[in-house]
Amino acid sequence: MAGIYVHIPFCKSKCRYCDFASFPDKLCFAESYMACVYREMAMRKEELKGYTFDTLYIGGGTPSVIDENYIAMLVAAARKNFNIAKDAEITIEMNPGTVSAKKIETYLKCGINRFSVGLQTAVDSQLAELGRIHNLKEFLLCTKLLKGRNFSVDVMIGLKNQTIADIEKTIETAAYSGANHISMYALSPEDGTPIYSDYLNGELPDNDQVAEMYSAGVKKLKELGFDRYEVSNFAKKGFESRHNLNYWRRGDYIGFGVAASSCINNIRFTNTFDLDEYFKCILSNHLAVKDREEVDLAWQEEEFIMLALRTSRGLNLKEYAKLFNKNFTEVYAAAIQKVGTYIEVNGDFLKIKDEFLFIQNSIIVEFLRTE
Amino acid sequence: MGKKQNIRNFCIIAHIDHGKSTLADRLMERTGQVSERDMEEQLLDSMDIERERGITIKLTPVRMFYKAKDGVEYVFNLIDTPGHVDFTYEVSRSLAACEGAILIVDASQGVEAQTLANVYLALENDLEILPVINKIDLPSAQPEVVKQEIEEVIGLDASNAPLISAKEGLNIDDVLEAIVSTFPAPECDDTAPLKALIFDSYYDNYKGVILFVRVKDGTVKAGDKIKTFRSDKVYEVVETGVFAPGLSPKNGLFAGEVGYVAASIKSIQDVAVGDTLINADNPANEPLPGYKKVQSVVFCGIYPLDGSKFNDLKDAILKLQLNDASLIFEPDSSVALGFGFRCGFLGLLHMEIIQERIEREFGLEIITTAPSVSYKVLKTDGEEIFVDNPSHLPPVSEIEHMEEPIVKADIYSPPDYLGQIMDLCREKRGTFLQMTYLDKSRVRLEYHLPLNEIIFDFFDAIKSRTRGYASFDYELIGYETSKLVKLDIMLNGEVCDALSMIVHEDSAYTRGRTLCENLKEAIPRQLFEVPVQAAIGGKIIARETVKAVRKDVLAKCYGGDITRKKKLLEKQKEGKKRMRQVGNVEVPSEVFMQILKTNKD
Repeated sequence: MAGIYVHIPFCKSKCRYCDFASFPDKLCFAESYMACVYREMAMRKEELKGYTFDTLYIGGGTPSVIDENYIAMLVAAARKNFNIAKDAEITIEMNPGTVSAKKIETYLKCGINRFSVGLQTAVDSQLAELGRIHNLKEFLLCTKLLKGRNFSVDVMIGLKNQTIADIEKTIETAAYSGANHISMYALSPEDGTPIYSDYLNGELPDNDQVAEMYSAGVKKLKELGFDRYEVSNFAKKGFESRHNLNYWRRGDYIGFGVAASSCINNIRFTNTFDLDEYFKCILSNHLAVKDREEVDLAWQEEEFIMLALRTSRGLNLKEYAKLFNKNFTEVYAAAIQKVGTYIEVNGDFLKIKDEFLFIQNSIIVEFLRTE
Repeated sequence: MGKKQNIRNFCIIAHIDHGKSTLADRLMERTGQVSERDMEEQLLDSMDIERERGITIKLTPVRMFYKAKDGVEYVFNLIDTPGHVDFTYEVSRSLAACEGAILIVDASQGVEAQTLANVYLALENDLEILPVINKIDLPSAQPEVVKQEIEEVIGLDASNAPLISAKEGLNIDDVLEAIVSTFPAPECDDTAPLKALIFDSYYDNYKGVILFVRVKDGTVKAGDKIKTFRSDKVYEVVETGVFAPGLSPKNGLFAGEVGYVAASIKSIQDVAVGDTLINADNPANEPLPGYKKVQSVVFCGIYPLDGSKFNDLKDAILKLQLNDASLIFEPDSSVALGFGFRCGFLGLLHMEIIQERIEREFGLEIITTAPSVSYKVLKTDGEEIFVDNPSHLPPVSEIEHMEEPIVKADIYSPPDYLGQIMDLCREKRGTFLQMTYLDKSRVRLEYHLPLNEIIFDFFDAIKSRTRGYASFDYELIGYETSKLVKLDIMLNGEVCDALSMIVHEDSAYTRGRTLCENLKEAIPRQLFEVPVQAAIGGKIIARETVKAVRKDVLAKCYGGDITRKKKLLEKQKEGKKRMRQVGNVEVPSEVFMQILKTNKD
């Protein structure tokens, strides 16, 4: 498995919780930026000749904020430079406040077959509080345009003044809108974002309350036919995001655009977060890679464990044995013994029991080496 | 017997912060011992900790030359003294090496508890005392009031006391002249057999143990065979010298002089401070008076924070002991903390300093257990034992009764805070002895207090309740029968030996409850619920619960996040290294200390 990620760092305005690379005031550079992305792809063409990509994910920022033709050209550029599988999953992230029928038509025409819509919450006052540019009505209009299509909805828990009923309503809204995939993330107040002051002022729900919300959300999602396949991701049967699964199974992926990350052949690297620097590099025919690290075998093993245990399926013991040439249950006998209550083995898979997935860190760290 | 007319041996005694080190610096500067340019603030306090805390721990003598107004050049030997109650023994040793003592009193704060304690020590040693009133440059200075206080409280004539500002270098010459005129020259006999008081020592990597001595009679020079009065080991003197400051070799030390002797002595334990140095070939038959064996008063366990660093800790403690004979230790082990040492100290400050030096000078992170005192346990079989480690306490059924050490405490305070102090002493099981008005603004309170009550937070409590105005001093006076019990802390049903302590029955319940409350806050939530219980002899007296963790997850984990998330997990894993396993509960190492310090008020 291999995937392509393209980062579109533009937005209408920055949400209060956002700490991603996005530059609302630089929207006027969209055209030049996209030209650079196409060029960056061309620069990687030779290197990635041997790969077939099963997924293409256009994320942001808000990819839907820029002219839809740039997106169409982007998909075309990807096809021109790389081998994209015929049945590839091609996803674009959308903000309901930036969508039109024409945009969606263009997206479909160029081959995009999956949409990820950021709803976050169905409560307008909470949307305003988050600094989202859309309201519930716009979300409903947006999903009406996507009727019958393959789309996912993002929802958030842990918001200021959010109740369990709000979460249930949000999930129902997402499900009834026709989504076949729902991502439910707990808000993580990062230092440097405006919402961090809410956190410091104790206005956000505490971890115990978030845990309550999460359980309630999981329950509601299950009722509506969405199975959890990763701690924050839920899908109707057969609609799991292949792009995300690729990350958790340590597949290769290549990222284009500012701040995009890649992992090719066990080398992880990330492009610069600085838009100007990105322009400068690409325009002078250089890659814009900033951090680069080789993942040695020990790290590969840790990543494999840490990522696999995030998923509901768990860690594939046979695959582990094949990759690392040892027996997991022997190597980690002590750790397994220690956290035995919280894990279970199902055929070839060792997984964290469903009820403990939300406290997985304390369990996963037992499987990490100490130096 | 003759007199060395132009030698003056003296020390400076003062309460912390009254300016002892600053005055010492000024004297050195004035006598040209140190040029102003090379002057590092407070030269005598050579350890970092001493400078930072503004206290003197190690004695550092210095020799100066002063040409007085009478035209004679005098040799001054200044022996610095530690200012803290823990080091009373050191103080008394250095006093015994002098004929005079400069008593510094702060012009705005007046006489303090420690000042007085040290003055009494000086008087016991028959020293001439020269009062000096310092900090007269402060707006709040009241030199006349302070003079009167010195006369009333101490009974010294302060009418001619130099009024100085050591900081500003004001009237320092008055002090120098007064040293010549007030202090007697040493009385001594060069021809008598050698008798020299060892008032301090330290270990030098090249020369072995360096003995700081005051020669009372006779002479000592390189090549002499020497021994101490209380030991039979004979050494050959390799080098003698004076403090210039710093070791400055000089051929031979004569009666009346202060200097050092190096004799390839391997261990500081071999030569006790306070002992008398004599000539092995021509031994004096009487030792100098005043030798005492130092006794540890406070004990605690010291463990490496990272269990694998036991050997580093051992090296550190051994090295510290080279220079500090009063630090005693023995290997110890705890179920919760692994291998470490049980250490004995002269007092709380001494303990804190050793802990700090281990961390600072050796870069080791350590865990210390609750300080304890040494209890006398009379067993039913008639045996009498001393127990300073709660986990070594025999079972209740074997204990006839227990006794705890008692101190006599002197507290000096403005009368406004009497109520608060008396409340505190009552809470700490104190017995009121008497109260004396020293003057309108100062009262002396005398109490008998159990030592185990003051080793926790008594200093802090008294300072905070009197806004820092009260001062406090204590001396050990003996043992008293007491109703003592062993308080155990159980985590998830298992006793955590490192948290056990011996407490008075009456305070056991409160102590147990506070401990449980504090532990509940300090122990991070685990995957399961953890009951925290306090128990006495198996009977639970308090209980709290650390709830199970419910959210511990990195919500989003996309491509770009993997490295970051991995690092977060690594950090979490790293944090586990600082955890100690008590049964199946993981307890951060810091908890063991925090808990014992935050004895909620």
